Amino acid sequence: MPARSRALWFAAMGVYAFLYLPLLIVIVFSFNDSRLNARWTGFTLDWYAKLLGNQQLLTAAWNSLVIALAVTLISVLVGTIAGIALSRYRARALSLLVVTPMAVPDILTGVSLLVFFVMIHLTLGMQSVILAHVSFCISFVAIVVRSALTNLDPHLVEAARDLGATPFIAFRKVVMPAITPGIVAGALLAFTLSIDDFVITFFTAGAGTTTLPLQVYSMIKVSITPEINAVSTLLMVMTLSLVVLASRLAPETIRT
Amino acid sequence: MTRAGSLQTEAVKRRLLVGLPTLVLLVLFAAPTLIMVLATFQFPDDFGGLAPAWYSDSDGVHLDLTLENYERFAGEAIYLKIFWRSLVYATLTTLFCAALAYPLAMFITRAPSRIRDLLVLLVILPFWSNFLIRVYAWMSILGPRSLFTEGLNGLLGWFGLGPVTLLFTPFAVIVGLVYVHLPFMVLPLYANLCRHDPAWLDAARDLGASPWKTFVGVTLPMSVPGLVAGSLLVFIPALGAFAVPDILGGAQGAMIGNLISDQFLSARDWPFGSTIAVALTLFVVFIAWLMTAVARRLPGGAAHAR
Amino acid sequence: MKHFLTLLALSVLSAVASAEDVLHIYNWSDYLPEETIATFEEQCGCRIVYDTFSSNEELMAKLAAGARGYDILVPTDYAVSAMAGRDMLLELDHARLPNMKNLKPEFLDRPFDPGNRFSVPYAVGVTLLGFNADKMRQHGIPTDTWAALFDPKHLAKIKGRVTVLDDQRELMGAALIYLGYSPNDTDPAHWGEARDVILKAKPYWAAFNASNYNVLLAAGDIWLVQGYSMDVYQAAADAEEAGAGVKIGYAIPKEGAYMAVDNLVIPKTAPEPELALRFIDFVLDGRQSAVLSNELGIGNPNMAATEFIDASVLEDPALFPQGDVLSRLSNIDELDARQRRAMNRLWTEIKVQ
Repeated sequence: MPARSRALWFAAMGVYAFLYLPLLIVIVFSFNDSRLNARWTGFTLDWYAKLLGNQQLLTAAWNSLVIALAVTLISVLVGTIAGIALSRYRARALSLLVVTPMAVPDILTGVSLLVFFVMIHLTLGMQSVILAHVSFCISFVAIVVRSALTNLDPHLVEAARDLGATPFIAFRKVVMPAITPGIVAGALLAFTLSIDDFVITFFTAGAGTTTLPLQVYSMIKVSITPEINAVSTLLMVMTLSLVVLASRLAPETIRT
Repeated sequence: MTRAGSLQTEAVKRRLLVGLPTLVLLVLFAAPTLIMVLATFQFPDDFGGLAPAWYSDSDGVHLDLTLENYERFAGEAIYLKIFWRSLVYATLTTLFCAALAYPLAMFITRAPSRIRDLLVLLVILPFWSNFLIRVYAWMSILGPRSLFTEGLNGLLGWFGLGPVTLLFTPFAVIVGLVYVHLPFMVLPLYANLCRHDPAWLDAARDLGASPWKTFVGVTLPMSVPGLVAGSLLVFIPALGAFAVPDILGGAQGAMIGNLISDQFLSARDWPFGSTIAVALTLFVVFIAWLMTAVARRLPGGAAHAR
Repeated sequence: MKHFLTLLALSVLSAVASAEDVLHIYNWSDYLPEETIATFEEQCGCRIVYDTFSSNEELMAKLAAGARGYDILVPTDYAVSAMAGRDMLLELDHARLPNMKNLKPEFLDRPFDPGNRFSVPYAVGVTLLGFNADKMRQHGIPTDTWAALFDPKHLAKIKGRVTVLDDQRELMGAALIYLGYSPNDTDPAHWGEARDVILKAKPYWAAFNASNYNVLLAAGDIWLVQGYSMDVYQAAADAEEAGAGVKIGYAIPKEGAYMAVDNLVIPKTAPEPELALRFIDFVLDGRQSAVLSNELGIGNPNMAATEFIDASVLEDPALFPQGDVLSRLSNIDELDARQRRAMNRLWTEIKVQ
């Protein structure tokens, strides 16, 4: 038995190494002095300094932020309503519409939205990217909100009403506390999904809507400077802080 | 408030709560999908995009639709070939993910309960970093002058084998796909394994089964639902992958996703691009149905079938 | 950390909050010198936003997909006539472009845009072979012929170290020239032969790459590329600057090659057509145009620029081809709709095989 658990331990550590080494290499090399990226030649913060002077990148970061905030707002609104509806009623059409988009490969969502937007003469730009992101973020918010509500005993609301609470008070005192962690987690999830999305944005973006992932993609395709490592490291720090925030605010729902 | 009145407001509430999100998703998800299906019957516009689906002249309005795209898709072996290649890549990705995820999930299940959540979080954490960065990391690892490649080629040189290229090969594509999708396999598998009752394992051991036999006879069959769930979560996105083969595959590893994006972004043949996309959709639905059906028939599947 | 975040926030805000005019340029990567951008921004009190594409097909596909908001596009000759034919371009007011007098007559009034109603020539480039000089010598590979790119006999020695342009017309054209046909040949049988040549060579190629092959070449990762003269020139300069011992050479193959004239045009949907006109006249100034050649190694259709261009660039036969080399270069002609669909099919086959 001990020999076997040791083998298991080694195998598991190997897989953890497989998961972390690539990212570690990116982080380490973001501080590397050499342009050519292959050998460690010395410590530098040059690449980070360069990033702050990179207008294209800053504009892209701003675009991503604006888009993600708009997407979060809209998909939390619609997604929360969908989550409540799903927990209360047997709405088969709605649950199909919520679940299917999550199962569809990104590229199919991307091209179908492109064809759709062009057909309805919607100019590709901020608006098309926001709508595209909303189309897949709603589902995630809805699922998280619904799972938060399934823990809520429906009899609690009735009990509150029986004890003389108005519907509004019952909602505020009973439903809201139960649903809030779900909404917060859903919002963070929508925000992260939007700011991270590449494939769907790739197909639905227009002039001047280059987002951060699109910019990173063109940096990967066009140059191989260590600046990419620095951007990547900053992005990792950013999403990591979001995850920590999420797990503080809604520890139960973040593990999706 | 009368009883009938409250029933009526309840009905209105229901219509609002269900109706609004249904409407939004119909517009943003169902309508684009249907329009894409319509596009498969259209001609491409001369410059790109779609030619109008109908035109009108003195005789009235005529539909201008075609089956040409389907004929082209079915008529040339090359498209079948790329579907086959994508299928092979996605299958290999799923198998490698399962092989890596199984020991990890077992390890986490057996770990002391106070660190179990942490171990699970450690699996998810890299998944929260930007998708492109995870792919890019492998681009630099597999590049011809990286420490890894040079080390490997030094080792191969010892055995008198020629140097190998890693980046821009099918190997690179599969490594990238496995890396990007691994957490999707670990999580459902872990969720399944930690529901197993340790008493079953004890019983098997008490009956004299070796650890290996216990694994093959008890643990593995009981984990089938977890494996199937994980496989679906890995296989379907891997089949539709676009960015991974685009960045790591170079000239050699094109998959269906690349074929589709090429039709939209360089060949300017949207109807044909839509046709391939529709074919991929049908294929995904078929695979999902097949895997769940098979899982239900397998031992252990029935007990846990949802 | 906190200071750093404040700094980041401030610079993001300053990038966005300013309310000045913005000129959106959609161009090839590395095709507008930083110096030119800075000078123009200062002169006009505006800001330039620079998006890039890597082939004419990509440019046209993006426009077909409804991309709007660009003020300046930089299509190659055949793409100009395609766009003009679709009534997508703004007619240029020549009275507003006094610097047009600087252009060499042989680059004006070309068949793709008679009378330069819609376009102004901006840059000239040749599609040629760029290579790692030591590796080519070491493996005995000739560098003055397309055979280096297509003949498996040569390719076997440098497998996985070759890239070709991710551009259907460029690659098919090179294969047609290699076979002894005109690059603008439209005979389906010849196209079939060209496809076969490409498919035989493809297993030895690392990538279809039209965006960063110059970087890969300069770094020593890739040894042979089909590329544009300015990119390969850039690679040679970068490799020398890096000082890692990589020496880059380039040559126009003796069989002939494509010469591309890239043009400035203003789409009808441009939000700032006035600013775009000012920009065009600005870059037609001899001194500004010379920066293009000196900084980026781009061939120049501008007479007034000649006196400001460094002799080393001006006398480079691959950047400014002369005499009988020039006579072996040809433009890319536009295909009709039927031919384009056939070409697309071949290209799809090539890409996914």
